[in-house]
Amino acid sequence: MIEWIILVLVGLLLLIGIFYFNRFVVLSNRIDNSLSQIDVQLKRRADLIPNLIETVKGYAKHEKSIMAEVTKARQAMISAKNLTGKVKANGVLEGALGKLFAIAENYPDLKANTNFIELQRELSSTEDRVAYARQNYNDSILTYNNMVQKFPGALFASMFGRKVKEYIQIAPSEKVVPKVSFN
Amino acid sequence: MEHIDFRDQISKNKRNSVFLMIFVAITIVILGYVISFAFDPSYFFLIMIVAIIFSISYTWVNFYNSDKIAISAVRAKPADKIKYRDFYRLVESLTVASSLPMPRLFIMESGSINAFASGRDPKHAVVCVTTGALEKLDRRELEGVLAHEMGHIANYDIRFITLVAVMVGMIAIVSQIFLRSLWFGGGGNDNKGSGIFILIGIALAILAPIVVTLVQLAISRKREFTADATAIKFTRNPNGLIGALEKIKKDSAPEKKVSKALAPLFFSSPFKGLSSTHPPLEKRIEVLKSM
Repeated sequence: MIEWIILVLVGLLLLIGIFYFNRFVVLSNRIDNSLSQIDVQLKRRADLIPNLIETVKGYAKHEKSIMAEVTKARQAMISAKNLTGKVKANGVLEGALGKLFAIAENYPDLKANTNFIELQRELSSTEDRVAYARQNYNDSILTYNNMVQKFPGALFASMFGRKVKEYIQIAPSEKVVPKVSFN
Repeated sequence: MEHIDFRDQISKNKRNSVFLMIFVAITIVILGYVISFAFDPSYFFLIMIVAIIFSISYTWVNFYNSDKIAISAVRAKPADKIKYRDFYRLVESLTVASSLPMPRLFIMESGSINAFASGRDPKHAVVCVTTGALEKLDRRELEGVLAHEMGHIANYDIRFITLVAVMVGMIAIVSQIFLRSLWFGGGGNDNKGSGIFILIGIALAILAPIVVTLVQLAISRKREFTADATAIKFTRNPNGLIGALEKIKKDSAPEKKVSKALAPLFFSSPFKGLSSTHPPLEKRIEVLKSM
């Protein structure tokens, strides 16, 4: 009788252990996935820029400096080594784009161009997506850390060598107020 | 009102929904138990087997085709990718926020502001909005409404609501069969069931469908709050959703006629007078403002 009880208890413990092991795997994979989503969305953003520059060129040839600024910010974002750098560059790019769209207000033909309108919407949509992806990443870390720190997850976490994950410091992109000079 | 974290809101509502579901399951068991005592067992088995086969196939067909049934019931059409670019863009953004697969999108001709989600799981989900919602809501408000529908998908409400509806239907069927068989067999003197159980059985058969319907409505209302909370988790912007709810409150467009069975799926109740599948708009706005 005693043997049976012990056997059942061991079996139960094993099942709970398997559950937690798999749970940790799923949650940490989710973190990796949400992290790569940020990258995907930033790339999507970068891919839209050349098209935008082409469209703007057709209507506002003289705004060379702002176009150069946008192109430079895009280049910086693509060539950034890690995600932190990319997100930072994205902040700069966002500011430059804001300026570009403010300048576009002075060109009625450009403003009315369907291609331009479409790109503008697409870009503001990717801005949302970058923000959403980052949020998703933060949430994934939070869920994982809760699992690692709460009882009884904490017991299994130390058993499987799972540690609390650090948030990658991604500062919220600084809101750059577009400076527009009329001359 | 104190500050409510949306994460707590989600887990609280999930817990309550589990309680409600257990309650419905217990009701089914008690009903079956009393009926089996009230009846001649040899009679009962035949009825139960037929009823179970019927209800399982009914459940399966309804469950498996829940997306198609809902779409065809409101005569919605697939949304055109070019014409409704913004609609697609908003939902695509929300898939990034929620890690959900892209649902199929549909449009329903109606002047009123409304939307619904359906399907048996996130992979087979559909999201449908009215043309009124696309016209009257601005980008952030529409995003709030769509995030609410994505919330229904993420929380498996689309499956849950379908299952609860089917369970309620099943209880109604069992009760009906019991009452009818009493009617036909009542005159005979070969009824081996005991009198007191027949009385309890009758009372239960009449009360159970009413009680489970009330429970269904309560579940449905809870799910609306959860979906609102999940929507905020996705967008972190309660103002869009609040704006949409406030526009619905002021909107006077005639409601589209939809079946009552579909009502729990919608963003706001399609029945203005009888809004018991949804919490009052004021209450939803109030909770959203406290988040």
